[in-house]
Amino acid sequence: MGGNTSQLSKENVSEYQELTFLTKQEILLAYKRFSELYEDRRSSLDPRTSRIPLQKMTELPELRSNPFKHRICRVFSTSEVKDGSLSFEDFLDLLSAFSDSATLEIKSHYAFCIFDDDNDGTLNRKDLEKLINHLTSESEDTKLTRNEMEQLINNILEESDIDKDGTVNLSEFQHVISRSPDFVSSFKIVL
Amino acid sequence: MAMEIQRQDSGVWDDSEDNGSPGDRQSLRLRRVSSQVTQKNYPQFSWSVTPTETDREGPRGSQRDIRTLPMPMALKRAVRQVQQMQVPVVSRMDSWKRKKTKVLLKLKDDAMEILSFFTLWNKSLQMIGGNFGGGVQSYFLFLRFLVILNFISFLLIAGFVLIPSIVFSSVGTSFLVLNSTGLENCTKYDPNPQGLVAFYKYLLDVVSGTGFMEYSYLFYGYYNNTVVEDSDFSYNIPLAYVFTAVFYFAFCLICIIARMGTAARVAVATGGSTVSNYSITVFTAWNYGCLGDTATTLQQKNLHYQLQVDLEEERIKKQAAALTSKEKVVLYSVRVLMGFLALGLIIAAFYCIFLATNFSQQKSGTSGIQGLIWDYLPSIVITAANFMVPLLCDQIAVIERYAPSTTVIVALLRAVFLRLVSLGVLLFTLWSQITCDGDTNTGDCKLCQYNHNLYPCWETRIGQEMYKLTLFDLLTNIAVLLLVEFPRRIVVDHWSSKLARWVGRQEFEVPLNVLGLVYGQTVVWTGALFCPLLPAINTIKFIILFYCKKATLFHNCRPAQKTFRSTTSSFFFLMVLLFGWSLATLVLIYSLSEIQPSLGCGPFSFFPSMWSVVANTFYKLPTVTREFLFFIGSQAFSIPLFVLSCVVMCYFAALFSVHGKNVALLRAQLKLEGRDKQFLVKQIVELSRRLQTLHHSAGEEESI
Repeated sequence: MGGNTSQLSKENVSEYQELTFLTKQEILLAYKRFSELYEDRRSSLDPRTSRIPLQKMTELPELRSNPFKHRICRVFSTSEVKDGSLSFEDFLDLLSAFSDSATLEIKSHYAFCIFDDDNDGTLNRKDLEKLINHLTSESEDTKLTRNEMEQLINNILEESDIDKDGTVNLSEFQHVISRSPDFVSSFKIVL
Repeated sequence: MAMEIQRQDSGVWDDSEDNGSPGDRQSLRLRRVSSQVTQKNYPQFSWSVTPTETDREGPRGSQRDIRTLPMPMALKRAVRQVQQMQVPVVSRMDSWKRKKTKVLLKLKDDAMEILSFFTLWNKSLQMIGGNFGGGVQSYFLFLRFLVILNFISFLLIAGFVLIPSIVFSSVGTSFLVLNSTGLENCTKYDPNPQGLVAFYKYLLDVVSGTGFMEYSYLFYGYYNNTVVEDSDFSYNIPLAYVFTAVFYFAFCLICIIARMGTAARVAVATGGSTVSNYSITVFTAWNYGCLGDTATTLQQKNLHYQLQVDLEEERIKKQAAALTSKEKVVLYSVRVLMGFLALGLIIAAFYCIFLATNFSQQKSGTSGIQGLIWDYLPSIVITAANFMVPLLCDQIAVIERYAPSTTVIVALLRAVFLRLVSLGVLLFTLWSQITCDGDTNTGDCKLCQYNHNLYPCWETRIGQEMYKLTLFDLLTNIAVLLLVEFPRRIVVDHWSSKLARWVGRQEFEVPLNVLGLVYGQTVVWTGALFCPLLPAINTIKFIILFYCKKATLFHNCRPAQKTFRSTTSSFFFLMVLLFGWSLATLVLIYSLSEIQPSLGCGPFSFFPSMWSVVANTFYKLPTVTREFLFFIGSQAFSIPLFVLSCVVMCYFAALFSVHGKNVALLRAQLKLEGRDKQFLVKQIVELSRRLQTLHHSAGEEESI
């Protein structure tokens, strides 16, 4: 780790420790994995500005087979051109939200953002349909029929849409999440 | 965007604080103030689950608040800079506490990871769940639970009864005193075979537990009432035997209830509705830590199955509710009729078992293969009944047309009734023969208080019956596998005719298989007092069963057409197991306290009942302990304890209802806020329209 820590200074590490839920080891490991993916030999790795594009990011083994990988990268990306590329700090934000010690509030907030496909702040029918397709994969033998999909989306809206506006907003989403005992342990990605 | 959502979350904010500060500072202020306000006015729900969050509500608004802001790093940094200007320094106490909780969490996580590495058959179970759905997986989970339970029970029994018996058999002293001289006939017991024994007899002996196997550590009759009393160490084998048996039952009860608790908690958390909560499944069921393509596909298949089951169940319920009243009357009368038919079938099966057991007892004593068949007759009849009657009940269920999960529960209840009470019939028949129909002062039972002619050592006899039942169950399962299921698949696959296609490939019947497990476990519990090694045999039997069932599942079965729910069913399996446990407990209590132990064998030969050894030891305890135990058992202690536990229960019931009302209140509040939002949006649209028309008319006037 010696060579890498000289690039990631101690002040940076302690700052990241305070701003995220990650431990020192986790931050250093994240830096190591990030620099392995970062191939641009022109510039050295700057934690704030060097970005890894979406395609490369989804090659991480932890993300590769996750059906939500594109959404995850786009949610945590702070790139101005909205291309889903992640800087190191974005990456740390990602790991922090998916870490063990993150609170239920943070996790449910980011889960909502991941499910919100069109980024309008609510989950409408199209978002729900895309979500269900991610969950059950779109291959022929595990796809839900048109009728089943309609029935399922109607049921979801009936159960969770409390103000009956046809969409699920963040509070309604968090209300549903609070009744699930397993959410915190399943919303976890560890390097 | 993040900050707006944050503000929306808080609900109420207090503007009385300093208003002139720039954006970030104001949002942070608002956050802190609003959290205090929400504590005052609204019922507080803590979203946080982890222990790190409990220090959050400190007056200083500690550093940890920053991490809970759902903002990108740059914004969090800015917020922190602002916060650092206000808050002087984080106390050393806080950072030490934080480090401590982090270390503890990491330790806990490492421990969980190691445990899951050692968890038996994890990978197989995942594969089964992905390919065949949660219902079939719940059967194998139940089987694994029973394997572990039996193994730990075996360790218990080995540690307290078997190993001391082996170790102390040469050291301790056994009682050989006869109370009265008229009982020599009762103590005659000679199970060892005389002279040369043919080889095939050894095989028969292994299978029926007689001969060389009868007088071994396997059965009750071999254990002696050795008592070791050294200067600083004493061990009383009879006492250990009784206490181990009692503790074994208590331990199994605790394990079952603990597991039921976890299953029940899931059911309660999902709102307790019989149809599963779709939103919870869709929003929270995905496991993000799943690595690799195969695991992901498995998970997707699993979820697909789960959603399909629930949707289908709902559709059927809707159909059922849409029937006209005439159709309903017809349907209900058909159901009642079929219910009576099923009951009649079960009673007929009981009668057959009763006849078979009597016949077998009459013919016991004949040797050779024929003797073996007469010996095994009760087991054969029980197994045959347990095969045929559920098949017929299945056909009945098709006519009854319940919803899928109800069908399963009804089938399970019927099969439970059949299996466990048939076991009860067998035990009843045995009892009536041992105690001469309960009247121990007649005929054969007069001399020794039990039928010493038929049963010189009746405990070993019962142990043998249970041992035979267990073995026969395993053999039947393997035989069915080899002779029915594999051939069926071969026939269906290679012989393309209409008949073959109609019969089709096997479907894995979860309820019946679970019943088999519960039955096997009940037999083991009933026999454990008389055959101490039975849990060990059962562990091996269940392990073999696991691999056999897995093999038949993957090679012979097709995925179920009618999918099966697993969340409520695990709870149900455990309830059925508990029913079996209570049957075994009845047998245990009766054997311990009522029947005279055999005078010719076993550790309790000269006690009037097995429990009296505990009573005798009790009176040898020092006075203080005795007084204490008397006090605990007396009314002066137990009645106040009972009253106290009632009070505690009432408190929890009240708390529960209050929380329920809170949830309802908050829901209503959310609804109102939604309506407010809609109202305001409508107002805005109105206003903007009016503004536009005003602009237009103003524009027209100008142009004019």
